Amino acid sequence: MNRLLLQFCEWLQHTQWAMDLSGSTWAYPYVQLTHFAGLSLWLGTSVAVDLRLLGAGRKRQAFAEISEGLLVWNWIGFAIAFAGGFMLFATAAPEFIVNSAFRLKVGVLLPLALVLHIAIQYKARAWDQAAHTPLAARIAGLAEILFWLAIAAAAASITYFEHL
Amino acid sequence: MRFCEWLEHTALITAITNSLVMSTIVEVLHYFSLFLLVGSILIVDLRLLGLAARRRNAAEVADEMFSLMWAGLVLNFATGFLLFAGDATTFYGNRVFHVKLAVILLAVIFGGIVQWGAGRWGRLPAIPIGAKLLAFVSLALWIASILAAVEVPSLTSVG
Repeated sequence: MNRLLLQFCEWLQHTQWAMDLSGSTWAYPYVQLTHFAGLSLWLGTSVAVDLRLLGAGRKRQAFAEISEGLLVWNWIGFAIAFAGGFMLFATAAPEFIVNSAFRLKVGVLLPLALVLHIAIQYKARAWDQAAHTPLAARIAGLAEILFWLAIAAAAASITYFEHL
Repeated sequence: MRFCEWLEHTALITAITNSLVMSTIVEVLHYFSLFLLVGSILIVDLRLLGLAARRRNAAEVADEMFSLMWAGLVLNFATGFLLFAGDATTFYGNRVFHVKLAVILLAVIFGGIVQWGAGRWGRLPAIPIGAKLLAFVSLALWIASILAAVEVPSLTSVG
C-alpha cells in the first residue's frame, strides 16, 4: 500500500501541469492564494458557528440559522481550499507524503476535524430546540476551533520536518 | 530605521525570534486570524452581491459576522506586528511589503465601509447598486491582500 502511494506521488509530481507549476515563479503564489482564500471562506463560516455554539458574539440569531445560511459557502470554501491544497501537494508529492507533520495534518487531524464538522452541522437543528445549549454542543464548538488551530500548527511545522 | 533596529532587539521580540515554539505560535495565529478576518468579510460582501445566504437579511448576516471580523482584525494586526518586529530592518526597505501594507489599508477601509453600511442597506427593499459596487471592491481588495501577502516571501525571500 505504501509503495503504491509513493508511486502515485511520483507520478503526480511528474504530470505536466505539476511540473509547470513548480517550475513557474509566478504561478505558485496564485495557487497559495487559492488555498488561503478557500480556507478563509471555510474557516470564517465554520468558526462563526463554533463561536456561536460557545455562546460568544451577539446572540441574536439561532446557530442552526447561521449554520444553514452559510452552508453553501462553507463547502464551496472547502472545495477551493482542497483544490489549492492538492495543487501545492502535487508540486512536491513524494516529499510531502513522507513528512511527519504533513502526515499528521492530512492523515489524522483533517479527517477527524471533518467528521466533527459534519456532526455539528447535522446536530445544529436539534441543539437549537433545547432550552439551553447542551454541554455537548459547547464542547463540540470548542473542539472544532482547537482542531483547526492544530491543523494550522501542523501545516506550519511541515518545513521543520523537511529532509528527515 | 533606528526605531526598527531598536524594535528588533527589545527583550520581548528577541525572546519570540529565538524560540521556535513561540515564533510558530505567532505565525499560526497570524494565518488563523487572517482566515477568520477575510472569511467573515467575504461572506458579508457575497451577501450584498446576492450570492450568499439570500434567504437571510444582509443586516443580520453582517451582524453575526461582526465579532469574528473585529476579533480577526485585532489578532491579525497584533501577530503581524510581532512578525514584522522580529525582522523589522529587513521588512522596512522591502518594496513588496510596502505594497502589501497599502493594499491591506485600502481593504480595511472598504471592508469597514461595507460592514458599517450593511446594517442600513439590509433594511431597504433592495440592495442599492452602489452598495454592491462597494462590496465587490472590498471582495477584490481582500483577495488582493492575500496575494500581496504571499508575494512577499515569494518575490523577495523575506518572511
